[in-house]
Amino acid sequence: MMSYGAQQKIREPQTPLYSRAIRHLSLCCLMLCSTPVFAATWFDSWFAKQEPLQVSVDDAFINVYSGPGRGYPIFYVVEREEIITLLKSRTEWIKIKTRRGLVGWIKRDDMQFTLALDGSKPEFPDSKQADYLVDRFEMGAAYGDFAGADSLNMNLGYRFTKNLSAELRYAENTGQFSDSQIIAAGILFQPFPDLRASPFFSIGGGKIKTFPSSTLVQTEDREDDLLQASLGAYVHLTGRFFLRVEYTNHYIMTSRNTNEEVNEWKVGFNVFF
Amino acid sequence: MESWIQRLFLSALLLGLTGISSGAYAQDDSTSDDDELGQIITPDVKRRTIKEDDLDSENFEMGAYYGLLSIEDFGTNEVVGITFAYHITEDFFVEAAYGMSKTEKTSYELLSGGVELLTEDERDLSYYNLSLGYNFLHGQVFISDKWTFNNHFYIVAGAGNTDFAAKDYFTTNLGAGLRFYATDWLALDLSMRGHSFKHELFGESKTVTNLESRLGLSLFF
Repeated sequence: MMSYGAQQKIREPQTPLYSRAIRHLSLCCLMLCSTPVFAATWFDSWFAKQEPLQVSVDDAFINVYSGPGRGYPIFYVVEREEIITLLKSRTEWIKIKTRRGLVGWIKRDDMQFTLALDGSKPEFPDSKQADYLVDRFEMGAAYGDFAGADSLNMNLGYRFTKNLSAELRYAENTGQFSDSQIIAAGILFQPFPDLRASPFFSIGGGKIKTFPSSTLVQTEDREDDLLQASLGAYVHLTGRFFLRVEYTNHYIMTSRNTNEEVNEWKVGFNVFF
Repeated sequence: MESWIQRLFLSALLLGLTGISSGAYAQDDSTSDDDELGQIITPDVKRRTIKEDDLDSENFEMGAYYGLLSIEDFGTNEVVGITFAYHITEDFFVEAAYGMSKTEKTSYELLSGGVELLTEDERDLSYYNLSLGYNFLHGQVFISDKWTFNNHFYIVAGAGNTDFAAKDYFTTNLGAGLRFYATDWLALDLSMRGHSFKHELFGESKTVTNLESRLGLSLFF
């Protein structure tokens, strides 16, 4: 308990001029943009100098590395009851500052051997697959084989419920005889989202633009409507990262007499935010 | 009589004043007492729990580079580009890159005189790709007695498209580099990439690997 009082004394004074300037700036922004109030508070929290995040060491010692990686040398140790300030994090590492002003990196896992100054455990939960099931944005890229053409896919999605998400897709296919671009939107349904390898099916529609190789045939570029039906699976890798494999059946409604059908295999990565 | 009444009133007034003032005093005393008491009882520490969300994370990286791209049959030319990366773990990262260059005339075009294989616009080359990278051999370099900097090597592999001669070519890329950290949010990047694709510009299908050497600067945020 004594250390709390001592702690209070060394806490650095705030810089009023700086924070006032920031507040004025954010106020100006508020007036200029006439944005809602939350924007101002967002601005404030973004720029204003925040209270330092401090914890005390609750183990014999914690190793301090010179950089955010296990290959960097350990150049210092912080001992029990020593108070450290958390500065920022990168991947699984946290940058800290000791009372004597030494700056280094500790492992994120070592946060379990620290206590907040009020005696509580710092909350550093391990991200699980379940954390990415609802209200999440999703972004992904994939490589595919589009009937012999190489296909590069990008998708941007939003997961509304555990089972349902909507997404926008963009693909560039480069083939020997023609290149094409696909822009589409789709709905994706996952019946068992909790499984590590969770299957999904999806339907969508959009447009495909085809550019035949000019060296080969003198045909015009054309734009056709397209329907998509997909079957695939998400496989949870680590944290927010998922592997996504997919088989898509593209049904292209051409302006000619016959419609075209193209099957595509895709494999890629998706990240949830 | 008059003076008696005067004295009475004055004393009453005095009594009243002192009463008020002493009351006021008392009030002051009591508040200051409370403050002191409060200070003694409640420690001047904000009850604060530490959450990971309060901590600023720096896993994104944005960079720009300049270098030389040697394009098979079309000379060696300047290349500029931008990168955007996300660091998944301390080992792995994903990187998106976009680069631009301009190609020269082929030896054939130069020697034959008037022949032009490509128009001026078709000589522009641009590419984009998405790669997975792996960091290894972390360490420090010692510039002098007092200055040390973190550095590490990395390898990347990925795929993308190259837009050249009015056509897109599916391109795979492979590369390696050295990262040199000036501070933990500013890094100097010295690296090489090989971009491979297949084209049929000269009639026959041909696979080319265009080697790129570049110097970049990136910021973490």
